[in-house]
Amino acid sequence: MDLRFSTEDEDFRAELVGWLEANLPPEMRERAWWVGKSDAEQFEIRREWEAGKAAAGFAGIQWPTEYGGRGGTPGMKAIYDEQMAKANAPRTVNPLGLAFLGPTVMAIGTEEQKREIIKPLLHTEVIWCQGFSEPGAGSDLAALQMKAEPQGDHYVLNGQKIWTTNAMHGDKIFVLARTSDPGGARHAGISMLLVDMHQEGVEVRPLKQMTGESEFGEVFFTDAVCPVEDVLGGEGNGWQTAMLLLSFERGSSAIGQYTEFRRQWDAVATLARQLDRDGAPASQDPVMRQQLASSLIELECLKYHSWHVLTQTSQGKDLGFEASMTKIMWSEAFRKVSDTYESLVGTAFQVADPSPGTSLEELTTMALWSRSCTIWGGSQQVQRTIVAERVLGLPR
Amino acid sequence: MKFQLTDEQRALQDAVKAYLRDKFGPAEVRDFYNTDSDGVPADLWRAIGEQGWLAVLVPDAHDGLGLGLLDCAIIARAFGSATVPGPWLGTVLVGEALRLAGSESQQKALLPQLAAGEVKGAVALLRGGYRPSPAGAPATAAGGKLTGNLGLVDYASVADVLIVAAQDGLYLVEPGAATITPHESLDRTVRLATVELDGAVAERLEGSSPEVVQELLDRAAVLAASDLAGTARKALTDTVEYDKTRVQFGKPVGSFQAIKHHLADIHLGVTNAEYAATYAAHAFDIEAPDRQLAASIAKAKCGDMASESTGAMIQYHGGIGYTWEHDSHIYFKRAKRLEYSFGDASQHRERIASLMLDAI
Repeated sequence: MDLRFSTEDEDFRAELVGWLEANLPPEMRERAWWVGKSDAEQFEIRREWEAGKAAAGFAGIQWPTEYGGRGGTPGMKAIYDEQMAKANAPRTVNPLGLAFLGPTVMAIGTEEQKREIIKPLLHTEVIWCQGFSEPGAGSDLAALQMKAEPQGDHYVLNGQKIWTTNAMHGDKIFVLARTSDPGGARHAGISMLLVDMHQEGVEVRPLKQMTGESEFGEVFFTDAVCPVEDVLGGEGNGWQTAMLLLSFERGSSAIGQYTEFRRQWDAVATLARQLDRDGAPASQDPVMRQQLASSLIELECLKYHSWHVLTQTSQGKDLGFEASMTKIMWSEAFRKVSDTYESLVGTAFQVADPSPGTSLEELTTMALWSRSCTIWGGSQQVQRTIVAERVLGLPR
Repeated sequence: MKFQLTDEQRALQDAVKAYLRDKFGPAEVRDFYNTDSDGVPADLWRAIGEQGWLAVLVPDAHDGLGLGLLDCAIIARAFGSATVPGPWLGTVLVGEALRLAGSESQQKALLPQLAAGEVKGAVALLRGGYRPSPAGAPATAAGGKLTGNLGLVDYASVADVLIVAAQDGLYLVEPGAATITPHESLDRTVRLATVELDGAVAERLEGSSPEVVQELLDRAAVLAASDLAGTARKALTDTVEYDKTRVQFGKPVGSFQAIKHHLADIHLGVTNAEYAATYAAHAFDIEAPDRQLAASIAKAKCGDMASESTGAMIQYHGGIGYTWEHDSHIYFKRAKRLEYSFGDASQHRERIASLMLDAI
């Protein structure tokens, strides 16, 4: 048992903290500074800042240097996630590219794909979207209908993708489409195509989320084209490629999520001390105290879990289906903090500024956002089935 | 970053588990359940002493092993998993009280014997709730004599030494000075007795303070949490195995989503409980600033999960799970006992709230 990071890892932390101090202006760390700026404006600011960060060498922490990464350790990646969350640094503009496409390309991409995709992704020159879900294929991904018909040196794509993060900002999209008729075999005949979104056959429409923001959208393909060499993992291997791609969340230790949600919990606790309930601070209310403690317990357990994951990945072990446990743990802990917040503020949950000097905008947006996290990337119910069957070995 | 046991700790874990599997498995526990006795399986108790499982926290200077709370918690978890009867926890805690607050002569007189299992111990530290003395002390001291109803005390009937908390610290009491009334308990891996003191002669542990009582309580809570984590895991594992093969409606019941998803949730919760118990014990070994918080997180989480897991064991075994012949009730009753020992989940959550919300 040794919960310290190596000296090498701690040196990296010092370097990163120093860089953040010099390059992340204090106002950018405050939610208030972002309020009032349009989605597009916010995106451009984040994109520019992230590009600067990549130029300074703080991108692709664990990825090989030959493709533009930093070649760091799992410990450095955890420290990076932790410090970025602590600093309240802008969220990445390329989440799907970083979490999924990059690792998959490095694992099974051609040398040319590696050179063409990785560095521009890290430097935010190309923003990647993920084209998996369709109106009729959510949790049941293999129900996807999108077609990509081979015609000489290219495919012709027709169909629709939905709930696509960053659809309005995307330059390219990795798409699961049917390239041949599987004849009843649902998982066969699928390919993963890397498609340019800046073409006539691709139309993007924003979807308004329950937060009021439009971070995701719909993507319509009408005779859109994609060169045959832009298949990732080989034609017809799309299902396997997708499963590999989704498995890359496994290396993620959740320390970043813990840090972010813990900051949120601290803000809720501060609010509980300020808000009046029956003539005393709400933090003195016995029921509120139980709820605050319960959510903190789940958060601290998430921290312990992140140590466990980091221990395993540092020793080069694959966590396999434990990844589903990580996903359930962090999204449930997040929900619990949000539930606590909602019951603390009560009717004031409905308004952004219930009293002068009190802004609930950030916490309320987080609470609403927590409702999406138990759905995307495999719903909680899908994850529970995976844990039951693959970890506990219960029969199908 | 290594959030895992050392090779030595794993060897200890394997040794305890292997011994219990060979010498005191479910069949022996069941026999013991159905036999009237003083609650101490003699051969097992002797072995526990010989193996050094009572000596873990006793310093080298007093013939102990001088190891840490995590090493001790490893034994507690294995004991919880195997529902081991006997006054192990009380004896360990008497040793801890003496180590933390006893005089040199008290330590010299008792620690080697406690470490060897030649002297058995019992503790009475709380009057419900989870507050150190003076607020939560079950006895009142006056002129070197203690008075108070200590409530139900584990293994008071067989103890050679009692440690009792009074308003000004910890006291060593000879059981002969107390009125001890045994009770039948549901959980038969323990023996309970009410203990009354009426001006009983007692020796104060000179290093006593509210902080020391709190330290002792927290260590007790961590060991109880570890036992609960062991019971919780064992109940889940047995239930999963049964539900893989029990067929109803033409299918294994473990294939039904209502059961599957709940068992997945319990697995997540028990995994968290195990982490929490492990970290809390380690936090005391490295004197981490958040060790009090960690102890309460562990006790709350392990208590909740042992209750849920052993309850699910009954439910997901169906009718057989409600019978005396099945093991479910053995796990359930043990979990219920320790769930409410050394502070229950609500009391520990309140403790967490006071640490996090009131301290500033």
